[in-house]
Amino acid sequence: MIIFEHATVTYPGGVHALKDLSLEIPDGQMIVIVGLSGAGKSTLIRAVNGLVPLTDGDVTIDGVSVRDAKGRQLREIRSRIGMIFQTFNLVKRTTVINNVLMGRLHETSTWRSLLGWYKAEDVEIAMQALERVDIVEKAYVRAANLSGGQQQRVGIARALAQQPKILLADEPVASLDPPTSHVVMRDLQRINRELGITTIVNLHFLDLAKVYGERIIGLRDGELVYDGTGAQADENVFRDIYGRSLTADDVMGAAEPTTPAVIA
Amino acid sequence: MTGAAQASHRPVKPRRSPAIYVGLIAVVFITLVSVSDRWGIGLDLGSIIADIGRGEGILRELMNPNWAFIPRTFEPLLETFAMAVVSAFIGCSLALPIVFFASRVTAPNRFVLTLTRGILSVVRAIPDFLYALIFVAAVGIGPLAGVVALIFFNVGVVAKLLSETVDSVDTGPLEATNAAGGTRTQMVRWSVLPQVLPNYVAFSLYAFELNIRASTVIGVVGAGGIGTMLFTQYRFFQWENVSVIIIELFVIVFVIELISIRLRRRLV
Repeated sequence: MIIFEHATVTYPGGVHALKDLSLEIPDGQMIVIVGLSGAGKSTLIRAVNGLVPLTDGDVTIDGVSVRDAKGRQLREIRSRIGMIFQTFNLVKRTTVINNVLMGRLHETSTWRSLLGWYKAEDVEIAMQALERVDIVEKAYVRAANLSGGQQQRVGIARALAQQPKILLADEPVASLDPPTSHVVMRDLQRINRELGITTIVNLHFLDLAKVYGERIIGLRDGELVYDGTGAQADENVFRDIYGRSLTADDVMGAAEPTTPAVIA
Repeated sequence: MTGAAQASHRPVKPRRSPAIYVGLIAVVFITLVSVSDRWGIGLDLGSIIADIGRGEGILRELMNPNWAFIPRTFEPLLETFAMAVVSAFIGCSLALPIVFFASRVTAPNRFVLTLTRGILSVVRAIPDFLYALIFVAAVGIGPLAGVVALIFFNVGVVAKLLSETVDSVDTGPLEATNAAGGTRTQMVRWSVLPQVLPNYVAFSLYAFELNIRASTVIGVVGAGGIGTMLFTQYRFFQWENVSVIIIELFVIVFVIELISIRLRRRLV
């Protein structure tokens, strides 16, 4: 269980990215955060693994405070939290498997990681992660030679290789086209359901949020303005979250594909 | 439509700072003072034309290289080559770990960053010739002095170039390693090194190339290699032999540069 207790983040310069946010996320939930750019979605996600430090309040994971954690303890917490990024954040010059193995670094000693001498079982875990997102045949290909959708699946595999309890996805489909977006979102949904990993996803397309959000959190100017199911979130709710009327730019538009084979 | 006729808020063209003109005038003035008879070195361009024939004898000998001298240059050339390889290898190996303390992106804190950069600036501020002088005094005449001098020279060059490359690396993968609970060392090894490795190899080749060029200068103080032989021949006014060494060095540097340009292009 992840608990936000009056979590507040003020960036240097006085920008209030998160204001007194309290929130409980039970294990195994798939939760979508929506809001305009600058509403604090990325900050919320990064507060979970301590990439953004809190200025006030606290975030606890299974009772352990992220705010107090430093050094080894913080790395320990982070190793149980997989993260997926808008721009994939892969090392493009190196192979797919090397990228995925970064998810095993926490379990690897310094000298082994310096030599790149990963244990056989860690390589096995990495390969299984690639199999889960159906891209294992690219294991020895340079990441740069993959399409955007494939790169994001490698990003997911890297997070899965951590064998995480929590998965954070910061705008995972913002750099992808609509059909590929659905492939990646369905991967995340499947992983959430099959492995029971708590999944927090930032999205800015409302239709995607409604389809994949078991629960939707609305943020506006760093404040929680909506917390409910995807089904309940109608146009009025989104209008309230966005603080303006909706436009065509707020939805991705392309319908969810019914035959996955076509776009695979 | 309001139309173009309505006055929009076009910005006023900013006035160029007068500092540019002041600077330009200052540069010209300082140059004039430097060549003046009274305050500067008193450059007399006329004497170049008047004395043009004076070096005729030397020039004639230089134009007439003593090809028979070539075999005697093999050993010192080989020594220069070996010195360049050894110092480039050691210098570049030493530079690699230092680099990550000298980059904003990978240094553990500001203090370490500033300290490392400061030390590297000092290392770089000392010219190769001076290093050679110091180490000839310290360990005596011969290739060892030359190698140690070149190592310092290479650490300075490679650390400078590579730390700038690390500064401009894509930080996305670094955030990813951080988020996965990796240590700083692991981050450097798996998120930074793969990104800068081609540049590192290119800079190392460049360091080797610089070492061959530097061999002439450091040879003068007796640090071994072809430079020492060049200086000896020069002292005894053996211009035909000097000429051979110059030609050889020209060819070697030219060939190495061709090869390394090609290799670097393939790498980066």
